[in-house]
Amino acid sequence: MLLAAFSGFLATIGFGVLFNIKGTKLLLAGIGGMLGGVVYYLCKQMQYPEALALFCAGVSFAFYSECLARICRTPVTTFVICALIPLVPGKGMYETMRFAVASDAQAALQKGLDTLINAGALALGIILVSTLMRFLWHKK
Amino acid sequence: MECNELLNVAGYAGKILLESGAEVYRCEETMVKIAQSFDVDEVQAFVMTTGIMLSITHKQQNYTKILRIQKRGVDLHKIDAINELSRTIKSKQYEIYEVMDILKKLDQEPRYSLPVTLFFSALSAFGFALFFQGSITDALCAFVIGICIKLSVLGMERNDINAFFQNAVSAGVGAFITLLCVQMSLCDSMDTVMISSIMLLVPGLAITNAIRDTVAGDYVSGLSRGAEAFLTAVAIAVGIGTVLAVWIKTVGGF
Repeated sequence: MLLAAFSGFLATIGFGVLFNIKGTKLLLAGIGGMLGGVVYYLCKQMQYPEALALFCAGVSFAFYSECLARICRTPVTTFVICALIPLVPGKGMYETMRFAVASDAQAALQKGLDTLINAGALALGIILVSTLMRFLWHKK
Repeated sequence: MECNELLNVAGYAGKILLESGAEVYRCEETMVKIAQSFDVDEVQAFVMTTGIMLSITHKQQNYTKILRIQKRGVDLHKIDAINELSRTIKSKQYEIYEVMDILKKLDQEPRYSLPVTLFFSALSAFGFALFFQGSITDALCAFVIGICIKLSVLGMERNDINAFFQNAVSAGVGAFITLLCVQMSLCDSMDTVMISSIMLLVPGLAITNAIRDTVAGDYVSGLSRGAEAFLTAVAIAVGIGTVLAVWIKTVGGF
């Protein structure tokens, strides 16, 4: 788990620099990535299906980002983009392509559909939190 | 008050925002907020991912400006700074020309330098390799390949080569070097190294904005961002697929 946390942090920080985030916000964004990574890891440990694990991770880092954005008075995007990237199902994309190259269309379609569902679950988590936060914030 | 000047300033702010990868609604809201800080009667902004339309009504006169957005990058620092600026114009009593100066200065602010960018993209690939449970040698290979991929992306960006081709070629370069590493048995798992290095090309901004624009009700922009994300994924797959297919045909399996 420590490894998941550490590597998620590293990957996110790297992307933060590529996206030109500066100062303490870079560190905070890194912590967001770490949170997503840890939640994903824990869900996998508890044998959750991939899509559900991604959904939980998405909800957790989106919630963290939305709260932090309101505290720091900075656009939510700053934190969400970076934290999102380690969880994007790149592995599924890659495997889809591997099957396609091996001209195994059936497996490629299967894997491609899986990947789409996983990406959708991740997006759904973010949508849920962002809609809720919007609702709560405007109510005040 | 000079409405034409105001139009230029607000439009300029919107242009920087959109070019830095802000969401459509943020762009619209910020321009309206900037214009309203100078007490005009009415402001309307209409933004899409490729262009801005902005009109101001003041003393029964209409002023309009249209801006076309060509380049689109990611610069979260600029979005943050303009967001901050638009909120403080009124309280700090800026003049229009002062705002323009601030924006110009911001627009020219340097990004992280090339070595730093390269190092951190490599570090990112290193992190991914560990995240995907690769060994330490895998991570080191990913580190090196990360540098190569970023170099190829930056090189092509400088020469205005379109995004689809950029991603395809960079992914191909990454795949090729990975295969070389495997051939020289430098790394344990080809899949892990390849996945973690191409994660650098993942369109994080496009995905995030596709989601956020859709949630905000800007379906046209949401769809176009979604298409951008999907096409990038296809480009990466095409790049790796081509290299893999050629490699299998010429060198043999792995």
